[in-house]
Amino acid sequence: MSWEGIALGLFSLGIIGFGFFWVIRLEYYLGYLWWPYPMALGILFILASFFTGNAGWSALLGITGGSFIWGATELKEQAVRAELGWFKYNPRRKPDPPGLRWIKKIKAPHL
Amino acid sequence: MLQFAGFWMAMVTFLGIWCGHVGVRWLEAHSPNIWPPIVVLASSGVALNVFSLFAPNLTLAGVSSIIGITLMWDALEVYRQQRRVLKKHAPANPDNPRHAAYLAAGKAITEDLLNREPQGAPAVLSVPQRIERRQASYERREVEA
Repeated sequence: MSWEGIALGLFSLGIIGFGFFWVIRLEYYLGYLWWPYPMALGILFILASFFTGNAGWSALLGITGGSFIWGATELKEQAVRAELGWFKYNPRRKPDPPGLRWIKKIKAPHL
Repeated sequence: MLQFAGFWMAMVTFLGIWCGHVGVRWLEAHSPNIWPPIVVLASSGVALNVFSLFAPNLTLAGVSSIIGITLMWDALEVYRQQRRVLKKHAPANPDNPRHAAYLAAGKAITEDLLNREPQGAPAVLSVPQRIERRQASYERREVEA
């Protein structure tokens, strides 16, 4: 009997919980247009997971990467929730993400 | 040699959350009674976690536990989705008798308020919408009191 699988399951629960936290904060302070950056971070985590010698570390990096990619797709909906008054709306002007011109050409993903 | 464990975990984490989101909304909108899907999801989740204890390798153990815990969370989300419908944060399905009763009692709406693009400004509510929202808030306080 091995508890490692359940430890990974609980880790995924924790990292998704952390996702709720950072999606709300990132949308509040920076805005949903920053979505490519957490997505890129998630992809980097997954790429890194291929090159770890240990299956456990690879698993932790993969779960973190998958969760960050999901979070990136949640930012747009979070912006709508804030505009609807379901979450605190930040009236201050949000900083433009680097590469805004290109980001605006792609429709923000939402699943 | 490339290590594929992380890739499979990433796929399961991402697809699990995605399917969970879509599946929970569908199940809650189409189930006349929310408890059968809740019981099925929770017990499947427990079964997958038990399987993960005896899985032959780490990848299979991790994948089954991630899906198992996701299903257990989805069971909770079915209940929370019903609350979202009653808060008018999610659309009601008029073909579902349970939702039809909410609609008839004015406790739910069919409009999906999230189905819009961000405008960069707070959404302006019409006067009837503001009255409705205030009324719903009073009703919630009465229920909670």
